[in-house]
Amino acid sequence: MVQISLPENSKTKKGKYFKDKTGSKNLRKVNVYRWDPSSGEGPRIDTYEVDMDNCPSKVLDILNKIKNEIDPTLAYRRSCAHGVCGSCAMNMGGKNGLACTTPHENIDGDIDIYPLPHLKVKKDLIGDLDGLYKQYKSIEPWLKSSSKSDSAELIQSKEDRAKLDGAYECIMCACCSTSCPSYWWNGDKYLGPAVLLQAYRWIIDSRDEERQARLKKVADELKLYRCHTILNCTSACPKGLNPAKAIAEIKKMLATANI
Amino acid sequence: MENKTPLSPHIQIYRWHISSLVSITHRITGIINIIGITFICIWSCLLLLGENNYEVINLFLKSLFGKFIILGITWSFSFQILSEIRHLIMDLGYGFELKITRITGLIVIFGSIILTIIFFTLGKNFI
Repeated sequence: MVQISLPENSKTKKGKYFKDKTGSKNLRKVNVYRWDPSSGEGPRIDTYEVDMDNCPSKVLDILNKIKNEIDPTLAYRRSCAHGVCGSCAMNMGGKNGLACTTPHENIDGDIDIYPLPHLKVKKDLIGDLDGLYKQYKSIEPWLKSSSKSDSAELIQSKEDRAKLDGAYECIMCACCSTSCPSYWWNGDKYLGPAVLLQAYRWIIDSRDEERQARLKKVADELKLYRCHTILNCTSACPKGLNPAKAIAEIKKMLATANI
Repeated sequence: MENKTPLSPHIQIYRWHISSLVSITHRITGIINIIGITFICIWSCLLLLGENNYEVINLFLKSLFGKFIILGITWSFSFQILSEIRHLIMDLGYGFELKITRITGLIVIFGSIILTIIFFTLGKNFI
C-alpha cells in the first residue's frame, strides 16, 4: 500500500544542538537521525557543528569524528571503510550510498544523514534488514548443478563468465532496494532491486542447471513486475551496478522463453 | 516494544531526479488521460443528443477553465506518448545507463511541452 506520510511514532522532532567547541572557522552543520529504543521517546534530529579543517573527505569520517569527539552515544554500522563490506549504507543528502565512499564535498548545504529509508529502525542510523535477507534466501543464491564430482571443475567459457560482470560485484548493502518506492510500499512481496539483481546473476550463470525453475519462481506480478523503472536503484548503487537493467533483462527472458 | 519501533523516513527525504520524476508523472498523466478520454466520449455522445448541448460544451471549452483543461489534456497525452516510447525502448533492454536515462528523461519533459504547443496550434488553426 502506498503510504506517503510516516506513522505517528516515526515523525521526527528537532533534537539537541551540539555547538562547536574547537573554535574552528570552517564549520559544517550535520543533521543526524537519532532514535534510542531505551528512551521511550520518538525519533529526533540532532545537529552537530563539525570542524571541517580536521576532518578527512568522506561522510563516514564525519560520523567517526562525531562519535569520537562530540557524542559517543551515536550508533551506526561500519566496518571496512573502503566500500567493500557494505555496512555503512545510509541516506546522505537525500540519496542512499555508502558513507565511506561518499565525499561530503558533494553534498550542498547542511549534511542530512538518515538511516536507509523505510526500514524499522533498531537504533539511530541502524535499520532492520531482516526482510531483505529473507528474500535473498528465498531466491536460493547458490549454484545448483547435478554434477556429482567433488573435484572436477565446472567449465565456463570466457563469454559466459563475462555475462556475470555487473552482477557478481554486488555487496548486498541494500542501498538500491531501500531507495525504491515500489519496495517501500510492497516490500513484503516485491523482491526489490538487490535481490532481483542476484536472481539474475544465478539465472544467467551458464553452470547453473535450474535456469527454468529460477525464472518460473521469480515470474510473479508482485515479486518482479512492481519495477516501474524509477531508476532510484541504479542512481543509488555505490558500486555502479545497474539493477534496473538486470530486472529488465529478466522481464525480457520471461517474455521470450517458453515456461 | 514492537509497535514503538519507528519507520525510517522515506519519500519525505529522498531526493528526486529526472527518472523518478518522469516515472511518477507517467502514472499521473495516465490517470488524467483516462478521465480525459471519458470526458471526450461524454461530450461526443452529448453532441448526438442535440444542438443545445453543443452550445453548452462550446461555451465551456471557450472559457478560461475550459482552455486550461484542453491544454492540460493535450500535455498529458503528449507526455504519455513520449514516456511510453521511452518505456518501450527500456523494455527492449536499452537506455539504462544513468547518463542516457537522464537525456531521455529530459527529452520526454521538454518534448512534451513542444508537442503540446504543436498539437494545440494545429488543433486551433486547422481543425
